[in-house]
Amino acid sequence: MSKGIEFLAPRLVGERFNNHAIPLEILKELSVLEEMIVEVAKWKYLQDHQDRQRVPRGFTDGISIKMTSIEDGSAIPKLALFMACVTLLPPENQQYFEKARDAIVNSVDAAERDETRITQYLPTSLLVYFDKIGRGLRDNESIEFNPSNQDCPARLNRVSRHKLLEVSTIKEWTEETLERGLIPELDQEKKRFTLQLLNGSKVLIPIEPQHKETVFEAFLGFDKNTRVIVHGIGRYNRALKLETFDSLEHINILDPLDISTRLSELSMLKDGWLDGKGLAPNKTGLDWLSKSFDENFRADLPLPHIYPTPEGGVQAEWTIGTWEVSLEVDLGGKSADFQSVNIKTSKVDETTFDLSNAESWTALNAKIDVLQKESV
Amino acid sequence: MNIETLLLRQVHPSFLQDGEITSQVFRPTPKDENLLSAYDGDKISPEGAWRHYTEGTENRSAGVMAITKAACDIHQLPVIDDGIPYPEHVSIDFTGKSKTVIGIIAKALKHAAVERGWLYRAEGLA
Repeated sequence: MSKGIEFLAPRLVGERFNNHAIPLEILKELSVLEEMIVEVAKWKYLQDHQDRQRVPRGFTDGISIKMTSIEDGSAIPKLALFMACVTLLPPENQQYFEKARDAIVNSVDAAERDETRITQYLPTSLLVYFDKIGRGLRDNESIEFNPSNQDCPARLNRVSRHKLLEVSTIKEWTEETLERGLIPELDQEKKRFTLQLLNGSKVLIPIEPQHKETVFEAFLGFDKNTRVIVHGIGRYNRALKLETFDSLEHINILDPLDISTRLSELSMLKDGWLDGKGLAPNKTGLDWLSKSFDENFRADLPLPHIYPTPEGGVQAEWTIGTWEVSLEVDLGGKSADFQSVNIKTSKVDETTFDLSNAESWTALNAKIDVLQKESV
Repeated sequence: MNIETLLLRQVHPSFLQDGEITSQVFRPTPKDENLLSAYDGDKISPEGAWRHYTEGTENRSAGVMAITKAACDIHQLPVIDDGIPYPEHVSIDFTGKSKTVIGIIAKALKHAAVERGWLYRAEGLA
């Protein structure tokens, strides 16, 4: 006979978890929690029984943690502890699993509020489990392990997870990673390829059979600057430098004019980039522009070429038939001067857009759309 | 110098993406006091201009494109054969033009230069 007791109800916070939805990749990470709880429970037992070398035989037999439902909230998976028991009384080892849960929750809370307390709750060797728990969390996402306590919700996010890993014995850790770059080298024998990142550094990535064709295409397109975007599990050293990929989940060939990639390239410019002159574009401004283009620029329209301006801005340009079009963006003011010139007729159209406003993007889309249709 | 004289412009690698140049190549920067520097194509070859600009300096150039003196005349841009800071130097004068007009002229000059094509292309730069 096996019975379940309410054990943990962490709240997943973030846009991806709205409507009680939990991405499968996060469920995968929650499953590691079971493994961690078992190991922490063993450690707790041995702390209470210092005369023993190991836990009693059968200490973890029949133990499992299962998700019984997803409650309202951003998304709250209800986790129950199931233990095989032969009597109506709770088995003696149950208390150690509850102590394990509390230690984990307290360590997360300490990471969020005062990292010097982390090791009061867990030893550095067991903190390594956080390498696999929470690595899929994005910026602005978190797991609250104690959501009923608004003062101390024990929030695991990218920042608190890093603090837990810094205290752990781990030498390098893994993260869900998205990178863009070229493929200059391919080793078919070792089934791996080299990705040259936009900053010039190189990392090795294993090839899965399903990605072989895309990797080959990008490798053969190296001279033509064929770039890819890869998504997988990246391995970082303690200085947060990406060293390699443990696995590759997705790889796609990028459009040669991919806007995010181009803006990432421009973010590496330094003041003086134009032979001693030229201000570097502001990184926050470039991030904003990348996101704005992504959200507002219509996918059916031609992508612009993008260049830095000596004043620290960015200029997007389109050549559409006989039209030469520029959009000079002031990253600080989030405004842009649009100018289109017909080289044959000398017709000119000019306007200024407030790019913090979605309506301006609609108007920009409409202008490009008209020029495109006119040039067909 | 005559109307067919080519005025050679260096193309900075950041002003080139996927083989396409920006019209900014033919627009003076605010710090240039409305003067756009070029090499007099009657006095130096495109490759020679590229070497002069990049070798022994920290300057970068992906290659050389050009417009004619005639194109400058059409847009009422005086070409000053100043020979400073080197003998082949000329200045294309945008003085008195508004930002709007400079943008229009830069687009027209870029279009003309692209139709002519690269006169010299450095190896290994996109």
